[in-house]
Amino acid sequence: MGTKRGASDDAESSSRRRREQGPMHDVDVPEMEEDDMNEDYSSMLNVPKHATMDVVSQSHNFQRDSVSKIFGNHDYTWLPLKQDHESRPLWITEDGHIILEGFSPIAEKAIDFLITIAEPVSRPSHIHEYRLTPYSLYAAVSVGLETEDIIEVLSRLSKVPVPESILGLIRDCTLSYGKVKLVLKHNRYFVESSHPEMLQKLLRDQVIREARVIGDDDPNNNGGLITGKAPNAKDLMIPGIKKDVPDPNKPGTSATGGQSEEEIFAVVGLDKDDDDIEPDDVHSFEIGSSSVEIVKKRCNELDYPMLEEYDFRNDTRNPNLEMDLKPITVIRPYQEKSLSKMFGNGRARSGIIVLPCGAGKTLVGITAACTVKKNTLVLCTSSVSVLQWKQQFLLWSNIKPHQIALFTADQKEKFLGASGIVISTYSMVANTRNRSHDAEKMMKFLRSQEWGFLLLDEVHVVPANMFRKVLTTIAAHAKLGLTATLVREDEKIDDLNFLIGPKLYEANWMDLASRGHIANVQCAEVWCPMTPAFYREYLRENSRKRALLYVMNPNKFQACQYLIRYHEERGDKIIVFSDNVYALVAYARKLEKPFIYGETSQQERVRILQNFQHNPQINTIFLSKVGDTSIDLPEATCLIQVSSHYGSRRQEAQRLGRILRAKRRNDEGFNAFFYSLVSKDTQEMYYSTKRQQFLIDQGYAFKVITNLDGMDQEQDLVYSTPAEQLSLLQSVLLAQESAADMNADVEHDDYDLTGNTVRRTGAGGGSILSHVGSSVAGGSNGARRSVGGLKSLSGGDQMAYIEYNKPVNVKDKDKDKNKGEHHALFKKYYNKK
Amino acid sequence: MVKAVKGTIIECDTSVKQIIIGLNEKYQFIIEDLDDTHVYIDTTYVEQLRHDIDEILNENTYKVEEKDNK
Repeated sequence: MGTKRGASDDAESSSRRRREQGPMHDVDVPEMEEDDMNEDYSSMLNVPKHATMDVVSQSHNFQRDSVSKIFGNHDYTWLPLKQDHESRPLWITEDGHIILEGFSPIAEKAIDFLITIAEPVSRPSHIHEYRLTPYSLYAAVSVGLETEDIIEVLSRLSKVPVPESILGLIRDCTLSYGKVKLVLKHNRYFVESSHPEMLQKLLRDQVIREARVIGDDDPNNNGGLITGKAPNAKDLMIPGIKKDVPDPNKPGTSATGGQSEEEIFAVVGLDKDDDDIEPDDVHSFEIGSSSVEIVKKRCNELDYPMLEEYDFRNDTRNPNLEMDLKPITVIRPYQEKSLSKMFGNGRARSGIIVLPCGAGKTLVGITAACTVKKNTLVLCTSSVSVLQWKQQFLLWSNIKPHQIALFTADQKEKFLGASGIVISTYSMVANTRNRSHDAEKMMKFLRSQEWGFLLLDEVHVVPANMFRKVLTTIAAHAKLGLTATLVREDEKIDDLNFLIGPKLYEANWMDLASRGHIANVQCAEVWCPMTPAFYREYLRENSRKRALLYVMNPNKFQACQYLIRYHEERGDKIIVFSDNVYALVAYARKLEKPFIYGETSQQERVRILQNFQHNPQINTIFLSKVGDTSIDLPEATCLIQVSSHYGSRRQEAQRLGRILRAKRRNDEGFNAFFYSLVSKDTQEMYYSTKRQQFLIDQGYAFKVITNLDGMDQEQDLVYSTPAEQLSLLQSVLLAQESAADMNADVEHDDYDLTGNTVRRTGAGGGSILSHVGSSVAGGSNGARRSVGGLKSLSGGDQMAYIEYNKPVNVKDKDKDKNKGEHHALFKKYYNKK
Repeated sequence: MVKAVKGTIIECDTSVKQIIIGLNEKYQFIIEDLDDTHVYIDTTYVEQLRHDIDEILNENTYKVEEKDNK
């Protein structure tokens, strides 16, 4: 697999380079903004191992003109345009990219279609880019689209004839896809297909043969294959969704005329109207549960990817769970759409649904659970979200409290009755060491159950190996992953395709914002020049200390203060984020605002958060990365980011998510504000641009503010005199050894968070792992912090401290060493840097 | 006795000036440090300086192809 991955990466990068050279200027659209066409990274999400097969650019003999060289291989001027190209919205290039005119009258319909068959790459307001990948086609097949339908619709929508290579790709992928299914029956896995020859072919493969389990007790053992009746699926009702709702978003006028529009999309509707007509007989063979993943992977390599389906309505072995959505619960259109992808043919498919933060992922999960009506296991990332899920279940559905069981470090209970819901954390389920008696008993219970539905919250944070463990210990029929940001800096996102399933639905952020489901956000990057003294030190220091210097830049202090003042006057509630705890404390103390970080006690947190929500005097709080995800503050309308975790796109998106659910979002002309303060001419600029890529692909535009209007006139800004700045610099320089370390400690902690998926939320810790994690990180963190704090507090006189510096250095070095030995996880992190 | 030295006046913003001063420690080309945004240097180093500054500033620019090279 390693070599394969390498090869496809190379191909990916070369196509990226090509695209970089020619950012699609053949698209002759005046509205196109340069920003909009920024390189995309989300296309990296889903690079299957054989993604680039058949998609090769052929060299064409055509007249090259004087500008051809700019576009390199992306000169498509030779592509013949169809006669009526103006009324068709798509361009399709040879390497699988689809460019859509977002302003076309039939764009909305085209988007519905494209989202089914292709991966959204970048979706600004006017021009969208999609990419055909084997995985996306696989997902298209799994919702019931047929090869010829896809080709038909594509060629109708395209301005240019669909290239041969694309036709080949579509045929290759869709013909073999979706023919083999993985079915879990009676706690045993079966590979099922209506074509016995296909199974025989798979069985000829050694890997799959080895994984096969031959049962003696199969009555109809027919040449090694088990034959049975195919389930028929019709008339499934997803609760909360009304059938036959006329499409309100249908464009009234259209350039192509109503009739042809109907025609074009007649086939798109297939997946909803007609269920697959399945042959009566299905054939299957059993495989061992431990080798399920190997077989899945192998099948992917053989180009017979398996669909995972669960025919929950015909499952009589598992008791039904009586639960339904409350009548008052209303499902939003996009939630309905995502669910219809999941339950498209009356069975439950496994897959991932991607919705922005604050767009109601929880409700989607709950509705899905209410549809399946079987034993449900919900896994989330922290014990706080465990409680939140329980509340949400009780809020939206009519399930009884005694049917919900929690499994965390503090609570280990089983539900009463034959069926119910268990809510737990990933680490509780995946942990193998140091399990208490109670927990072990609970695990036995979890393992013994056949779960109808496994709901995985925030799937992007879970490392693949932990996932594997969870998925092999828990037998679940259908799996649904929920996330807002399907990106990871370590490109491990591909693994999710094996582990859970294809991406079923990805919402368009801009679309949701324009419909008022999430807030409109103005994003801005504020460039703060470094003061000469700070920049001089910056140039001298090594990279880790540099971080502290650019964060503590006095100009940034002033910009932050100015923005806080400006927005407080407007009546905004402001959250200031800083990853660096030293900076967090310094900023908050200087600007006299309350702050919360990892060590803040639970009582203190609650007090600060409540004041922030209800006290008109407290309009600003400072949060460290503990606030990234677990804190829900619908009051907040403005967000200022002072320092951040390097180039993490996910963090940027998650932080934006804090203000997307703003309470006031439906007010006329309401905008939420997202500021990122960046010190000019430093590494921060690099990270900042990288972080924004994800949001840019979602259609957000970042304004660059080089000069905050009116800041010059502002009185009594902090650190306005050179003397003050100098003393700040001195305290930074003095404190930095410990502070930079402390910063590193927090990063460790963060890695711990993502590594073990435990957030330090303070509500009694999440699990055994989190206790271990935080006692190591937190303990040393505290000790070191007091050293740094003393020095920086006494500040000015550096002479007195010169002799103290040495022992501190030595000590820190030792600690650094120890750290490396302690945690293998962190080693990896440092090697990567 | 008046002594004339041939040189070039560089005008830059404050942070670039700090870079120049940093580079000066290696090459010693600054003839006179005038103020926060001006510096008077030996003409022969101008090209070299231009190149070095570009390099240093480019480190902080996020470029798409860098991702590929990783």
